[in-house]
Amino acid sequence: MTNDGANDLTRRGFLKFVGASLALAGLDGCTRMPAEKILPYVIEPPELTPGVPVHYATSMVLDGYATGLIVKAREGRPIKIEGNPGHPASLGATDAIHQASLLQLYDGDRATSLRSGRQRSSWAQLSAAFTPSSLRSRVGARGAGLYVVLEPTSSPLVISLLNRLRTLYPDMRVYYYAPLAGPNEATVARYDLAPADVILCVDADVLGTMPMHLHHARAFADRRRDPRHGMNRLYAIEPSLTVTGMSADERMRCRPSAVEPILAHLLSTLGGDRASGPAAAPPLPADVPTAWLAALASDLRAHAGRSVVIAGPHQTPVARALAASLNDVLGNAGHTAWHSASPLAEAGASGHSIADLADALRSGGVRALVCGGVNVAYAAPASLGLSSLLTRSPERLYLGMYEDETAERATWFVPQSHYLESWGDARAYDGTLSIVQPLVQPLYDSKSLVELLAMLGGQAAADPRMLLRQSWQEAGLAPTDEAWTSAVRTGFVAGSGFAPVATAPRSPIGPVTTAATSASPDSSTTATAPDRFEVVFAPDYRVHDGRFANIGWLQELPDPITKLTWGNAALVSPATAKLLGVSDGDGLALRHDSASLTIPALIVPGLADGTATIHFGYGRRGHEHAAIAAAGADAYTLWPAVGVPFMSNVSIERDESASRALATTHDHWSMEGRDQARIQTAAAYVASSSTQRPPRAPLPTLFQPEHPNGTSPHQWAMTIDLGTCIGCSACVVACQAENNIPVVGYEDVLKSREMHWLRIDRYATGPEENPAVVTQPMLCQHCEMAPCEYVCPVGATEHSSDGLNEMIYNRCVGTRFCSNNCPYKVRRFNWFDYNAELTEVERLVKNPDVTVRERGVMEKCTFCVQRIREAEIAAADAGTALHGGDVRTACQQACPTNAIVFGSLTEPETTMMQRRAEPRAYTVLEELGTRPRVTYLARIRNANPELDHA
Amino acid sequence: MRDRDWAGGVYMAEFGSAAELGRAARAFQEKGYRMIETYSPIPVEGVVYRRSRLPKFVFAIGALGGLASYLIQWYANAYSYPLNIGGRPSHATTAFLIPTFEGTVLSAALAAFFGVFWILRLPQPWHPVFEIPDFDRASVDRYWLAIDARDPRGSRELTVNELREFSPLRVVALDPEPAA
Amino acid sequence: MSATVEPDTGVSAGAGWPLLTGQHDDASLTDHLLSPIWQTRPGWWWLFGLSCAGTLLFIGTITYTIARGIGVWGNNIPVAWAYAIVNFVWWVGIGHAGTFISAFLLLLNQRWRGSVNRIAEAMTIFALVNASLFPLLHLGRAWFFYWLIPYPATMGVWPNFKSSLPWDVAAVSTYFTVSLLFWYLGLVPDLASARDRAATLFRRRVYGLFALGWRGAGYQWARYRAAYTLLAALATPLVISVHSVVSLDFAIAQLPGWHSTIFPPYFVVGAIYSGLAMVIVLLLPMRRVFRLGDVITNAHLDAIAKLMLTMGLMLAYSYVIELFMAWYSGNQFERFTYLVDRPTGPYAVLYWVMTVLNVVTPQLFWVTRFRTSGPILFIASLGILAGMWIERFIIIVTSLNRDFLTSSWHFYAPSWVDWSILAGSVSLFAFLFLLFIRFVPSVAISEVKELSLGLGEGQVDLAPIGSVEAEHA
Repeated sequence: MTNDGANDLTRRGFLKFVGASLALAGLDGCTRMPAEKILPYVIEPPELTPGVPVHYATSMVLDGYATGLIVKAREGRPIKIEGNPGHPASLGATDAIHQASLLQLYDGDRATSLRSGRQRSSWAQLSAAFTPSSLRSRVGARGAGLYVVLEPTSSPLVISLLNRLRTLYPDMRVYYYAPLAGPNEATVARYDLAPADVILCVDADVLGTMPMHLHHARAFADRRRDPRHGMNRLYAIEPSLTVTGMSADERMRCRPSAVEPILAHLLSTLGGDRASGPAAAPPLPADVPTAWLAALASDLRAHAGRSVVIAGPHQTPVARALAASLNDVLGNAGHTAWHSASPLAEAGASGHSIADLADALRSGGVRALVCGGVNVAYAAPASLGLSSLLTRSPERLYLGMYEDETAERATWFVPQSHYLESWGDARAYDGTLSIVQPLVQPLYDSKSLVELLAMLGGQAAADPRMLLRQSWQEAGLAPTDEAWTSAVRTGFVAGSGFAPVATAPRSPIGPVTTAATSASPDSSTTATAPDRFEVVFAPDYRVHDGRFANIGWLQELPDPITKLTWGNAALVSPATAKLLGVSDGDGLALRHDSASLTIPALIVPGLADGTATIHFGYGRRGHEHAAIAAAGADAYTLWPAVGVPFMSNVSIERDESASRALATTHDHWSMEGRDQARIQTAAAYVASSSTQRPPRAPLPTLFQPEHPNGTSPHQWAMTIDLGTCIGCSACVVACQAENNIPVVGYEDVLKSREMHWLRIDRYATGPEENPAVVTQPMLCQHCEMAPCEYVCPVGATEHSSDGLNEMIYNRCVGTRFCSNNCPYKVRRFNWFDYNAELTEVERLVKNPDVTVRERGVMEKCTFCVQRIREAEIAAADAGTALHGGDVRTACQQACPTNAIVFGSLTEPETTMMQRRAEPRAYTVLEELGTRPRVTYLARIRNANPELDHA
Repeated sequence: MRDRDWAGGVYMAEFGSAAELGRAARAFQEKGYRMIETYSPIPVEGVVYRRSRLPKFVFAIGALGGLASYLIQWYANAYSYPLNIGGRPSHATTAFLIPTFEGTVLSAALAAFFGVFWILRLPQPWHPVFEIPDFDRASVDRYWLAIDARDPRGSRELTVNELREFSPLRVVALDPEPAA
Repeated sequence: MSATVEPDTGVSAGAGWPLLTGQHDDASLTDHLLSPIWQTRPGWWWLFGLSCAGTLLFIGTITYTIARGIGVWGNNIPVAWAYAIVNFVWWVGIGHAGTFISAFLLLLNQRWRGSVNRIAEAMTIFALVNASLFPLLHLGRAWFFYWLIPYPATMGVWPNFKSSLPWDVAAVSTYFTVSLLFWYLGLVPDLASARDRAATLFRRRVYGLFALGWRGAGYQWARYRAAYTLLAALATPLVISVHSVVSLDFAIAQLPGWHSTIFPPYFVVGAIYSGLAMVIVLLLPMRRVFRLGDVITNAHLDAIAKLMLTMGLMLAYSYVIELFMAWYSGNQFERFTYLVDRPTGPYAVLYWVMTVLNVVTPQLFWVTRFRTSGPILFIASLGILAGMWIERFIIIVTSLNRDFLTSSWHFYAPSWVDWSILAGSVSLFAFLFLLFIRFVPSVAISEVKELSLGLGEGQVDLAPIGSVEAEHA
């Protein structure tokens, strides 16, 4: 992140620039788009007009489920990912991981060459070595020694390829594994939050990580637009703090072991008898507030049929069954909660779990192991010992994007293509058929899973697109060319989702775990018995199960809850921290039987006492730079078994050796009695119908401002609804991708030099045991009386006629006075040349419409001025008037809940203006007289009156 | 009455103290000598000079400098390239006053500094008096009175004798250079 | 030269110490005061070597900063200003005492300034050399510093004169220029003495060159005094204005802890305060090394110590008023910064150290013995210099690190480069000052001689320089 150039005009700098552009020109060779094959989403014919972006529909698949995306390409290179408005799993929105997956395409650490052992090899040699004839000789005539590990897949194409393989190798074994994939069941639980007045999430991150979370978030938010009418109420019961918990109206923390008893208790309270009846309900743990549960129960009963109870997919079968029967009892089944067939291959079938593979390896029956994109050597419970067991198989063929843990142990390694480089298909969680369409030919000598399976099936040279078309024809998914064409153009097949299935009468629920009740969570006993801690294993909002660990945008994205970057930590409640005598960053040693883990502690209010929460995906041991830089602790070493949500009887002690300075971007939870992020209960709001202060007279001024609000037809402004902001942070990464915002690294984040133009502030109010949390996207407020502007000695920041606070990079000398005088501290400074070390490939991700800032200049949110100007030019070309509401900023477009709305003050009919007129609208720090153009809507908490009185 | 270049010759008396020089200088002025000058390591109140015009000059330049400073700011921010800077007025009198003040002081100081050297015709490395043996003590501990040979009040022997009356350490007569 | 002329009320200052001791005729006095520029002493070489090393460190770290970027410092967002600006304000402040002593006291007919003003003026100039470096150095793109100066650029853009930074450029450059002119003008007669006393032809020529052919003619003296007085009159308002303008760098912001109308006087007082401390720190060693005890007497120390006491009390008053206004304003942000964050926040220790050094230390000077005791004066002055540096750190950093939105609060810690640059700038100051006392008459010889003349003849009403014109009005 440094360069030697004291001056951007030095000869060296110039040569460097020329070199880069030459290399870039060279690269066009590999980024040329296969124009004759793929079909554009919007513009056709898809000839490339330089400077005119082209959009294509594709899908990103995670743990087997597809999300529809629209990808924007400029001159043949994908530069921005948006949601596919028609796709049920997206509805036009994205999450942080979708946004950041773009950077993975250009990741400098991607494996580039196919190798056999340590020798560089080729696809031809590989396919020669794996022709059916030769492979049969090694794995037996019926392929009894051939073992294949794939991610859970819903792809009809992959399924058909597997079937073809089976005809060649009848005894071949296939295993489906992704560490955080849901339970292996024939049906999946489906929910509809739209009609639900009361939502109960029991350790279920329905807005954050569960399948269809974008869909759920939209439905949830749509019921909260106007707090005065039909606002839903979200209850959360969870051991650690999640995005869903932060958004909850009423939240109860509980130790993970208490989940089953609580559900059983609720069921018996609500008169459930199909399950373990009231009699069978075990006693509640001492620290569970029964009054709270009673209030919840009565609220659920009052809204029977218009409520929904959701248990997380990672919960125990018992817990999920209890939740299901609660829905039955409440008459929600069929309305807000139902089941449909699982889109995953061989869902519900036994014998293809990762544990079975371990046994097979141990027994030595494995002759050739084909691992399709699953990093089993890392992302599996260490107790299975897979990383060492792998070598029991004489042949190990690994298809992966990186030289990672599994690649190290592979005899054949094939670089895997990014999904933006490969043809494929998949189904969404609800079954919707989705197309995976490439935007570029592979940058490197890489292959997709489809190509690998085809090669094993003897079709080494098969064109994956033809295979896809074929399989769809055979399966009758796209009988006609028209159907195929429209599917490719729109990216999915509308109405191909699965219908509800009449859930088979559930077998009586097994006994509720009583281990939970034995582990008394109140800290007094915890103190006497240090081995009585419980550890929660959670998917990471950024790197998921670790596969995205090398994406800088995600590593530097502050965690939605902890605001931690570059690593993970053991999250503990303040009381637990006091008990352990630790503060942020102090090392902890977690032990359970033989397993142990050392990890720094991080204090988070609202967590259950006596528990520690650990996120997966860190402590990587591969060759990816960012993943290594992030360090962190590997939760898999402690994870007892796949699908286990938590672990009891863990001993936790201090361990200085594990201490680490934690790079958090926002370590102060309290608002110190200030009111920048306003929150109010619905009752009080409806009563006063206003969270505004008494209207005040305009602040007196000595000068008549000679620049009234600008002279242009449009006056840009934004509203942000704190009531529907769930803090998911998709907007932060979207902004980073759109505006070429650099990644600064662990060291500089420690120094508080992160460059995000848009950050999400997160405040906790109320008792630190269980606070109400409010998240507040904070970006340049584009003040009409901007304090940053008048202090700039060179006029590098001033106002445009359409009300933008503009930053002129090439006029900036870097006094940083503007940042000092910005009360919102939203300006960012280029302390170093953060783009100096980017390789030519890494530079390809940059948005050509946005300046890449040089060292020593200030930068900040521009309201995506490039999008505004683009729209203005388009309107001018079309000879029509630009409608301000048509301009959408990157953050707004990514937001799953439509909390961010952009528009013009001159168009009163737009949503932006309507929201601006709401009584709960306010501007931050208005008493400073800065007259911000960004308006916030106070968060309204639909509290349960019973509980508030209690 | 400017410092003399003694083109027509000069009669000089060397004294050992400022007081003696002062007395002698005053006396010679009373005698009616007008072409008088003193040389001393420290100022000696003897000869009376006309009031200096330097202050008026400094004031004028200072005023001009201040005016220029304000005009530059007005031209730059309000006339040549006005911008909407945080909604503030382009012609911000209160803000402009500070550089105006600095401009005034700066130009006045420069005027005073260069003005005085211009008045005194310095630098002037050579001067006839430097030719007098041991005149260099005039910057240390010797005090000289000089009478122009062309002073109508006096003549060679008259002036020299009158100088002698003040019992100087010595009296020196510099005759005009042939060139002059 | 031990015998002491008995105290003379006319020319002695304060508690009756003489301004001048020892039996001197003009010649011996001149030679005595010129002696430092004719031969060096071993102590000088030691200090000079040390300061050279430090100056090299300064150059090295500046190069490193410009090559790699401001990121090598500890600055961050929210604390975008730190050491560089602290050092800038500190040095500018130190500069003030020079002009204060030479110009202010000149107009006030304070005769004791005579033998210390040259040193004070030199201190001003070298402090300003340092001060003017930092605003350039702290720029993200230092090579474009000239964009702050109004010149007809091809892009037609101009500086924004509503910002206090161009004011700063004007104020500091004006101050530096005027100080330099004032200093040189005062030097001319003494350079002539050096010329006429020089042993070798080379020295004679060099000093002759700078003496501009000064002859000590009565007419020269008269006009010279007029100009000198005019410059003094022009420099005096600068003493008030420069640090007032510097304080506006903060006061025009709306940041709690900066946005305060008390800043200009408060900064000026602090500036003179720290400057006087620096004068003491420079005078005491010089007096010993060059045996200047005859011309720099207890009377001078006593007078400076009294001034420091006065300034210290005014500073303490400013501190109190600041706190009161913060409380009285009722503004939650102001109250937090002044009444909560500074006394109890992450930098509380520094805050209390500052209070002790700046408010408690000067109280020593109520005692006459302490006002004239070298060691105590020296240590107290060092303490005050440190205290004033910390004050600027408190004002700048503790206002920034916790402002309006708690989400942006963040701690600031300097990097090794910050420390090196601070040490380096002190070295550069010492380097320049050592060269000054080695090659330039560091005491105003003609003025001292005038003083001694007054003593010798017992003239009580020795006319203060500059009044010549008036007498001939």
